[in-house]
Amino acid sequence: MSDKLASNPMLPYLGKLVEVRDIATEIKLFRVEMLNGGGEAFHDYKPGQFAFVSAFGVGEAPFGIANIPNNGDPTLDFAINRLGSVTTDLHELGVGDMVGVRGPMGNGFPMDKFKGKNLVVIGGGIGGAPLRPVIQTVMANRGDYGDFLILWAARNPSLLVFTDEYDQWRATPNTELYLTVDQADSTWKEGVGLITQLLEKVAPSPRNSITITCGPPIMIHFVNRVLVEKLNFKPEQNYVTLEARMHCGIGKCGRCNLGTKLVCVDGPVFTMAEVGALLESFL
Amino acid sequence: MAFEPKIIAYLCTWCSYTGADTAGIARLKSPANIRDIRVPCSGRVSPEIIMRTFEQGADGVLVLGCHIGECHYNTGNHRAAKRLPVLQALLAYAGLEPERVRLDWVSASEGERYSRIANDFTDTVRTLGPIHWRVAERGAHFVWEQEPISHRYSAFSDEQPKHAVYHTAIYDEQTLILQAAARELLTNKLVDCVIGFEVGPRGRTRPAFIHQPENVERLVWNQDCTHNLSAYLSKKLGWGTDGGKKKQPDKLPKAAVVVKPCDSRSINVLLAENRFQRDQVYIIGMACDGIRQGAGFSNDKSGPIQTRCAACNVRTPVVYDTLIGDSEATYREIPPEHIYPGIDHLDALTPIERMNFWLSQFDRCIRCYACRQACPMCDCPICLYERDDSLWVGMGIDVDEKRAFHLGRAYHLAGRCVGCNECERACPMDLPLSLIHRKMAQEMETIFGYRAGMAVVPPPFVTILGGEENLP
Amino acid sequence: MNYLTHQELAAWLDHLAQEQTLIAPLNIAGNILYRPVKDTHEVVWDFTRSFMSVKDVFFPPTERLMLIEKLNGQVKLTETLPEGESIIFGVRPCDARGLLTLDALFIENEPVDPYYARRRENTTLIGLACPSVGASCFCTNVGGAPDDPTGMDIMLTASNGGYVAEIITEKGEKISKKFPVFDGLSEIRPHPTHARKRELRVPPKEAWPARFNDDFWAEMAERCLSCRICAYVCPSCRCFDVRDEALPGGNGQNQAERIRCWDSCNGIPYRKVAGGHNPRFMKNQRLRNRFFCKFYYFPLHYGPVSCTGCGRCIDACPVNVDITEVLIYMGRR
Repeated sequence: MSDKLASNPMLPYLGKLVEVRDIATEIKLFRVEMLNGGGEAFHDYKPGQFAFVSAFGVGEAPFGIANIPNNGDPTLDFAINRLGSVTTDLHELGVGDMVGVRGPMGNGFPMDKFKGKNLVVIGGGIGGAPLRPVIQTVMANRGDYGDFLILWAARNPSLLVFTDEYDQWRATPNTELYLTVDQADSTWKEGVGLITQLLEKVAPSPRNSITITCGPPIMIHFVNRVLVEKLNFKPEQNYVTLEARMHCGIGKCGRCNLGTKLVCVDGPVFTMAEVGALLESFL
Repeated sequence: MAFEPKIIAYLCTWCSYTGADTAGIARLKSPANIRDIRVPCSGRVSPEIIMRTFEQGADGVLVLGCHIGECHYNTGNHRAAKRLPVLQALLAYAGLEPERVRLDWVSASEGERYSRIANDFTDTVRTLGPIHWRVAERGAHFVWEQEPISHRYSAFSDEQPKHAVYHTAIYDEQTLILQAAARELLTNKLVDCVIGFEVGPRGRTRPAFIHQPENVERLVWNQDCTHNLSAYLSKKLGWGTDGGKKKQPDKLPKAAVVVKPCDSRSINVLLAENRFQRDQVYIIGMACDGIRQGAGFSNDKSGPIQTRCAACNVRTPVVYDTLIGDSEATYREIPPEHIYPGIDHLDALTPIERMNFWLSQFDRCIRCYACRQACPMCDCPICLYERDDSLWVGMGIDVDEKRAFHLGRAYHLAGRCVGCNECERACPMDLPLSLIHRKMAQEMETIFGYRAGMAVVPPPFVTILGGEENLP
Repeated sequence: MNYLTHQELAAWLDHLAQEQTLIAPLNIAGNILYRPVKDTHEVVWDFTRSFMSVKDVFFPPTERLMLIEKLNGQVKLTETLPEGESIIFGVRPCDARGLLTLDALFIENEPVDPYYARRRENTTLIGLACPSVGASCFCTNVGGAPDDPTGMDIMLTASNGGYVAEIITEKGEKISKKFPVFDGLSEIRPHPTHARKRELRVPPKEAWPARFNDDFWAEMAERCLSCRICAYVCPSCRCFDVRDEALPGGNGQNQAERIRCWDSCNGIPYRKVAGGHNPRFMKNQRLRNRFFCKFYYFPLHYGPVSCTGCGRCIDACPVNVDITEVLIYMGRR
């Protein structure tokens, strides 16, 4: 059956939810164990790649895979914000329920190219999900990369993702984590303000550095502006991962066209130089 | 085994739901066919819900609310009282027996009344037999084999010579007057844009947007000016699907628009719905003698006028700032039998024939939404029938979904449609949409004595029952 | 070459219709549409162009991708690939060209779309050269011709009261043997259809980017209604949307189908992202995307220009948005 399944790119692999937990307001982390052949397909994928997750009976939607391949252990993490019909249905599922997973898709981050460089990871809200495998990769191969800066933002503290992993991130050598929220609450002890303000304050040096940003389009736009105009980064140094409400993931449905590029096959990871060269604004 | 119908009852929580309880406590017999759904008010049961219920396989729908005057929300049940008769007419027209929907009033203490209505309704539906509403087979095709039902002018083609339009010198004169008016408006910066008609390179008349006084020569007025340009207004002036964001209130955009009498009525509807303000629009009204059939798609200089024009007795715009043309010269008596051609023919068929007729028509629909997009009234930011998470209709391009869309749209236009016929003209598959919308207009006139857009007043569905209005 | 009389052609088609599905142009309430037929006497033999293209047969408006069954916490997926062979009679050259365009996307661009590919494989195209060129046709300007046999399995050209038949592919060869009317002995050669050539040039894809920010697009789009006619009547538009829908009857809770349906870049929600942001919110952006897709993005990604010059969008547009006006504008320097 797995051969036949693999021959039809629209058919998902089956997966079983082995863990479902709240990680922020309306955001849950789903851990999926791949069944019948899916494990092989997801044996080796890159940080930044994505997969379609099916809520059977409602539909499927693309999500960035939020973990790195775990020595052949076929489980995938997805951090999913409840927004539309598919995500609402996924949020109603629990451990043991079946989902469909189709992928891995997209180009992913060129982690090999980043070796020996200082990395600045900038995540906004649920945009932190596809960045988690980047963080995990650096943590697992700490010697391969230079200084590691994580700027993590959300609208308010309850929307910050992976909070339980912050201590672990901070404990990694040569790694700094900065948090900021647009609106603080009474218990909040970290920074308050937009991510761009935080970025200006932290002011990473562009020398031998790469930035990786994921967040809403408007955030990507302004983060890049600060990086280029105030901090002297070149657009080529700034990697982003974009998204679109795509329906096939294999370059057919047309929904994710950014003019000359398709998010699903040419992306979702682009440098801002590539994004800047697009005819049509992603904004 | 005898047929046992599935009946869904929407019960108002304040009265009928308790009424059903009262019936139970009093050990009165109620049929087991009824599945209750408790709603906050009978006014909450929108016609979309009822149509969807039928689509999901219900054989009958019962809506019970508080007696008029006893509504927990004062007038919620007035809405139900106004909507349901129109919905029944629409469903009947589409081929569903109207007896499958019933609206009635049951108070909390009227257990006996509840039981009587429930039993009586169940008997009625049982007699009607199982519903054959949903087709459900993807890709199923339907073809109308019987005598064609004409919604076109050709139904009374013997009178064509009298009802033909030709390109005459009057059009050229009026074009010059129109251009002068537009030039003045733009030169004095009274408006940002004049929306009018131009003739494209293929000789087809089409909408034109003139922003600069030097471009006014593009404007024309001729026998082909069929588009209802008010469809662009709420997008240009308000916060419709085009602008999206709320405009600055201190510098509201202004536009001038060229309207025919029918189009002017749609401006009244839009004004009544607060899509934009009256002083945002400068209305250049044209006295109209009818528009040629095929206008917008070909460039013939003469031909029979459109069916709707042959049946039109509003020859002068009902609202305008400037009037061009002689309203006396365009006045014409309309024989009553010309007002609703095709509808009588359909009304005379049996429900199952009517259903087959409509299925054969919706069969061709490609769900391109041109009807909706061309309609001045259809301006929801996200259409109910196009939502990603829509519970009202599936995404499929099949007859069930297409029928749900068209009937739903027809219902949404009841009391608002002015009969400009843009939906039917825009339809690439030649669906006789006017047959539904004119029927709805006819029903609104019969039930409420209301004609859409004759004045800036809200349509009947959003007002409470007047003292003289009949209860169902 | 073969020469068939009208009766021979009809007899052959009737014979074929007994063995497999025959799809042919019918007149349905005044509209020429390709529909399955039982025999040939409903078929419309003489027409300029059908309302909808043959795209519908290969890429149907609604298509079930799979059946989803949920039972006791388990999920069973059943792939629903299209079954059965069919023959389409009366395919116009512009539509065949449209299929070649779609082939570039669905088949030649990996991975292969199995639904489309299966239908292509199982369908034989019998082309019928256009007797004349319609008022809005411009196939000759995009590289086609009214009697172009490209993409057909058998090409018919009306001639001397009958048809000259050219067998082009093996698939065509196979169905030609089903009934003895093809003798290959005819000396008659088809006359080329007279096609006047418009002064219309499709600019190469390199010419497009420089015009992206022109005011022209906003001016043109001002009257656009943002409906989807142009995409749906187009023989080479292919955007789609995928969703699951519960199946009715009995256990609607447990059975669903995953369907894909046509979609159009003119629709407002088309380019929305998950957070609700819509980069193509304005209709001029959407209409511009349509033309750029046809002549720039599609050739860039998949090779061919995604316009076959059939002119359907010109005739169907209720507000006369005209693709040839775009080409004329682009041709101006």
